[in-house]
Amino acid sequence: MATPKELSGSNDVNNTVVGPSILISGRLTGDEDLTVRGRVEGELTLSRTLIVEPSGVVKANVAVRNAIVSGVVVGNINATESVELTREGRMVGDIHAPRVIIVDGASFRGRVDMGDVEPGRLPSQRPVVARPAAPVTRPSAAPARPSAPPARPSAPPARPLIPVATPRPAPAPTVTTPARPASKPLPPPPPPRAEPRPVAPPVEPASAEPPTPFALGAGAKKKVVVKKKTR
Amino acid sequence: MATGETGIIGKGIVIKGNLTGGGDLVIEGRVEGQIALKNHLTIESTGKVQADIRAEELTINGEASGNIDASTRVAINASAKVAGDIKAPRIVIEDGAVFNGSIEMDVRLPDDI
Amino acid sequence: MANTVIGSSIVIDGEISGDEDLVIQGTVKGKISLKESLYVEGSGVVEADIETQNVEIAGRVTGNIVASDKVELKTDCRVVGDIKAPRILIADGASFKGNVDMDMKER
Repeated sequence: MATPKELSGSNDVNNTVVGPSILISGRLTGDEDLTVRGRVEGELTLSRTLIVEPSGVVKANVAVRNAIVSGVVVGNINATESVELTREGRMVGDIHAPRVIIVDGASFRGRVDMGDVEPGRLPSQRPVVARPAAPVTRPSAAPARPSAPPARPSAPPARPLIPVATPRPAPAPTVTTPARPASKPLPPPPPPRAEPRPVAPPVEPASAEPPTPFALGAGAKKKVVVKKKTR
Repeated sequence: MATGETGIIGKGIVIKGNLTGGGDLVIEGRVEGQIALKNHLTIESTGKVQADIRAEELTINGEASGNIDASTRVAINASAKVAGDIKAPRIVIEDGAVFNGSIEMDVRLPDDI
Repeated sequence: MANTVIGSSIVIDGEISGDEDLVIQGTVKGKISLKESLYVEGSGVVEADIETQNVEIAGRVTGNIVASDKVELKTDCRVVGDIKAPRILIADGASFKGNVDMDMKER
């Protein structure tokens, strides 16, 4: 896992760290990277990157540029660039981001909405050919991407989103609002920040989860549990 | 996993209807309808599937729309475009893949969430 | 060594609690309760009631402070509120408005 310093690159931006025994509940906003090793509840808005480390728990609706989840997130994440669930990441909620990466071993329940845009490709660059209307039960044909072989009919770009039948555990309807590519300026994809991690060994994702290193057990709601006597 | 030979639905083939069976299957062409497979289904980058899919394992390099139910694993690779709801114990989405829909995996959360 | 740093661009509106040192360079409104030390740095702005073991304030604090050990107001800090602690240090140049109560029975 890259440290916050590596990710932000410069010294003029502070890096906020929420230590393992800390609980913040309320609204947190900021213009810097935030590393969560403890617990944040409520609402979290950053113009930069949220890093939830394996010991971290975020129970909040999150609006950030990038999110890297190695811990637990319960709530919706709305990211302008990317959301990555690493091997240890666990999340329940909806993700709305143009780039979503789920690594083998991560566990996730919720909706993924990448909009209709592919990272690094402007919608206009895509050859869009009307698909011969095929009477299928499901109206969600995916548009072709340019790398796909030519001479293949592709779907109209305005593909309807699949309606979700399952109830979402985490509220906040704003996150699930579908993004329309035309109205959404997509920055060129950042260099793959995802450092090439070794792919998780093929283990059961359930058992691949490391035990939460800190006892965020009962009672952590209002007070912190981890003992770290340093004095 | 591979029990016997691997079936291939070639590039020029269009199948409308239900597809069932054991053995592995590679789709390079088009399938519309329903797929129920006992083993590993691969949708190649040329493949285009509009179907509800049930399989043991599913690898998608091409396009798929429909609901997916896999008993072991679903891999949505970088070149894939997928729309639909997925249920599987393990789901991987590579960077570059496009996916819209819902995902249902078993998520073990801390007790106090 | 402080594990938790609230950076200068961060604004927290709510409650912070924990068992470790906390450094505030940003803004915290609400309530802070710690079992260790709190450092409000020069850029830090706290509008909260504080309950902790030690506090060192170089920034601005509005709110009541209860410390089980020590409160230290450093040069250029601005503190408005009541302070209750067995040991209180106020440096030359600090500005402070409020009551001081050093009669701590717990100690």
